[in-house]
Amino acid sequence: MAARKRASAKPSPPHAPETTTTQIDPPISPPKKALIFKFCLFFSIPYFYLLYQHYKIEKDLRRSILINAALCVAGFFLTQRMIPVASRYVSKRGLFGFDINKKGTPQGDVKVPESLGIVVGIVFLVLAILFQYFNFKADSNWLVEYNAALASICFMILLGFVDDVLDVPWRVKLLLPSIAALPLLMAYAGHTTVIIPKPLVSYVGQEVLDLGWVYKLYMGLLAVFCTNSINIHAGLNGLEVGQTVVIASAIVIHNLMQIGASSDPEYKQAHAFSIYLVQPLLATSWALLSYNWYPSSVFVGDTYTYFAGMTMAVVGILGHYSETLLIFFLPQVLNFLLSLPQLSGYVKCPRHRLPRFNPETGLLTGTRDGTLMNFYLRVVGPKSEKSLCIHLLFVQAVGCCFCFMLRYFLAGWRVEDCVVYVSAFGVDVDAVISTALTIILAKALI
Amino acid sequence: MYIGMTLAWDLGYRRTEIESDSLNAILLANGSVMKAGGPTIVLYIHELCGYQWEVKFFHIRRDGNVVVGRFSKVNLKHIFLQRNTAAAMAARKRASAKPIPPPTPETTTTQIDPPIAPPKKALIFIFCLLFSIPYFYLLYQHYKIEQDLRRSILINAALCVAGFFLTQRMIPVASRYVSKRGLFGFDINKKGTPQGDVKVPESLGIVVGIVFLVLAILFQYFNFTSDSNWLVEYNAALASICFMILLGFVDDVLDVPWRVKLVLPSIAALPLLMAYAGHTTIIIPKPLVSYVGQEVLDLGWVYKLYMGLLAVFCTNSINIHAGLNGLEVGQTVVIASAIVIHNLMQIGASSDPEYKQAHAFSIYLVQPLLATSLALLSYNWYPSSVFVGDTYTYFAGMTMAVVGILGHYSETLLIFFLPQVLNFLLSLPQLSGYVKCPRHRLPRFNPETGLLTGTRDGTLINFYLRIVGPKSEKSLCIHLLFVQALGCCFCFMLRYFLAGWYK
Repeated sequence: MAARKRASAKPSPPHAPETTTTQIDPPISPPKKALIFKFCLFFSIPYFYLLYQHYKIEKDLRRSILINAALCVAGFFLTQRMIPVASRYVSKRGLFGFDINKKGTPQGDVKVPESLGIVVGIVFLVLAILFQYFNFKADSNWLVEYNAALASICFMILLGFVDDVLDVPWRVKLLLPSIAALPLLMAYAGHTTVIIPKPLVSYVGQEVLDLGWVYKLYMGLLAVFCTNSINIHAGLNGLEVGQTVVIASAIVIHNLMQIGASSDPEYKQAHAFSIYLVQPLLATSWALLSYNWYPSSVFVGDTYTYFAGMTMAVVGILGHYSETLLIFFLPQVLNFLLSLPQLSGYVKCPRHRLPRFNPETGLLTGTRDGTLMNFYLRVVGPKSEKSLCIHLLFVQAVGCCFCFMLRYFLAGWRVEDCVVYVSAFGVDVDAVISTALTIILAKALI
Repeated sequence: MYIGMTLAWDLGYRRTEIESDSLNAILLANGSVMKAGGPTIVLYIHELCGYQWEVKFFHIRRDGNVVVGRFSKVNLKHIFLQRNTAAAMAARKRASAKPIPPPTPETTTTQIDPPIAPPKKALIFIFCLLFSIPYFYLLYQHYKIEQDLRRSILINAALCVAGFFLTQRMIPVASRYVSKRGLFGFDINKKGTPQGDVKVPESLGIVVGIVFLVLAILFQYFNFTSDSNWLVEYNAALASICFMILLGFVDDVLDVPWRVKLVLPSIAALPLLMAYAGHTTIIIPKPLVSYVGQEVLDLGWVYKLYMGLLAVFCTNSINIHAGLNGLEVGQTVVIASAIVIHNLMQIGASSDPEYKQAHAFSIYLVQPLLATSLALLSYNWYPSSVFVGDTYTYFAGMTMAVVGILGHYSETLLIFFLPQVLNFLLSLPQLSGYVKCPRHRLPRFNPETGLLTGTRDGTLINFYLRIVGPKSEKSLCIHLLFVQALGCCFCFMLRYFLAGWYK
């Protein structure tokens, strides 16, 4: 704005041809900082409230969480700095795409750099590795799981980037997350038992069922599901990163609530472990969202969706709350179920199952393809890309709130995580927080 | 035209001229005319043109086309069989044996041949044979190693054999994808000869890296003697190596500036530095004790700095001692073999369980490195069908730095790296900018004689060539690998002589 003022204020002298620019302008537009700032502000309200006021969390644990958060802030700015730099290299190599949902408009001819998930992945790994140094409460078991988690996530980023560059066939794509999840499965030293919900005990015959290797198989499949479900619920500017940000925020809130409400140190450690990995995910994804939000300056590529899906599967498994995670993933589950007929080949499956874009009106119309996006458009009518994305993220947030409320209702019924809700007042506040969060999110994005 | 081209390819011709009396066919085949929805045979011809050979199309008059008459009589059935050398050889025999009926147009090929040359299996087989002699001798005869430990080592070896064949299978598949993406290079040391125009797929180190990681991860399941501390170090090692493969591949794809290249290995070594729970003390050699004042010196964070620098050194030193077909993989194979022998000797000769565990840990990571590298060498040996890329040199260097650090024998490792150290010292003036540094510091290739001559650049390759005179690429590589092996033997003798004196 200052430059614009200067330009309009006085006529500029003709330039001297000797002055050469040493700075090459970034070919991508500046980040949408306002959006991110608003979201940060609103998210920090429940975050700090839960961390300081509502629960009595030990000083050490609270300090670790805050140190992690400080590291993440640094990571956010680092990612934001690196993305324009990386886009130049990525474009030079030919890793770019055209925005299908803008075909027919001038923006449809712009080369958008792809696979910027690699920047997010590398910064995430550096943050996660460095955090080990700061975590004072380190015992051997925790370090094994942490390093196994890092190895899994790193392997997934590698395989995701290889997929982006080499474009592997889709059958191999399905297999990749299970290979990347192997370090996790090998290092998982936790229980492989599930607690049967009380009403079903009479059918099963026991209160606790030891699944053994079946549980490990479930873990592997969860990894495959989380990664690929984010991958197919995509196609709009900002949708992949947006859904990850919403789910990750919900995970952080959930972790804080569990740490605060529980008195079992093992249990607290598991959720602290989860927070230490989700906060960097959230921070680096925010930085990516500032470039990827409508209209996208960069695309995230399979690197990002695989990385995000794997990270969330890892924390869900090692934090022992994978069922809760699956309910956070409710829209992705719905999308997967809607997509099954086409993915299995029963119904003809086109190359892209995106809504149809009308360049004249700028609106998207739902096709008969089996995706949540198209289904939603068929229900509510044609929408512009930006508002459709906001709507879908709102649906995601509603799903997360639904999960929190479900946990409240089932609290006395399912004792699976041994969570003790101290008082009716405490429970009410949780529901209120989640509803407030949803409203805040919606306001921030629109 | 398609039949003729496939016949020429099968028979091994790599510079072909296609003559046709149909101008239309020529234009369609060489891509000057793009017909939407045209016949698929044109697509097949375009696919063939993309293989590693030189194809030129010429239009000739009908009365000049005498070959076409002869062609219809040759047995064309063999082209539609599965392509491998044996089939081609059998086909050649059949073609010469009896006259054949004209081909039926309905039989179509479903198999597309791999565009890279078959692996040099004989070379690898000879090496394996030679290496297994000292290996099994040390494992069974010379030392009394516990049953459990021996079994773990052999299970690891069995896994590595599977990994070898898997890598060998995956490399041709990966080269197609890699070439399609534009990750290929031209062989500088063959410029001026026909092979200098062949597009060689790059960055095949990614295949080696991924197979290595899978082997290393799966082995955890089989290792019976496991305690928590070992698992921490193992997973930290895996995380470091995986991160290095990722950064190496990103470098190959995005071509990062060289200053960033130097920093990458230190970032990748971080998991290792964080998880390293071992001692940071060094034992002062007996003669120097009087100067230092103590027998054992605790270096603390300086030791961790040394570890980080070792990682940077190992990766980049292999990267700069390169440029000949098979040199990067070859030096890794030689050093890795020496490491395995060293580990076996230390396991056998020692009675301290901690010490044995450290060397066993090292073997469990070096055997997969050796096996997968041998598979890559079978394609990368002179003449190279694939190039390894920075992915491989970074991966190999990091793996060896990791095992040296976690096995507590980094000084021995540095002596194994003696040629690389020499190369680095020779390169210092040019790398630091004191002397002008060209883009490539390779020897000069003479296409007429096929020999390489040493330039005044500061590399071990050029230094060696200036001493012994011009050599062909293959024999120069063999000489340099021999120098590497000599360095390793020198290390073994040094350890033997200093055994009572040093530690």
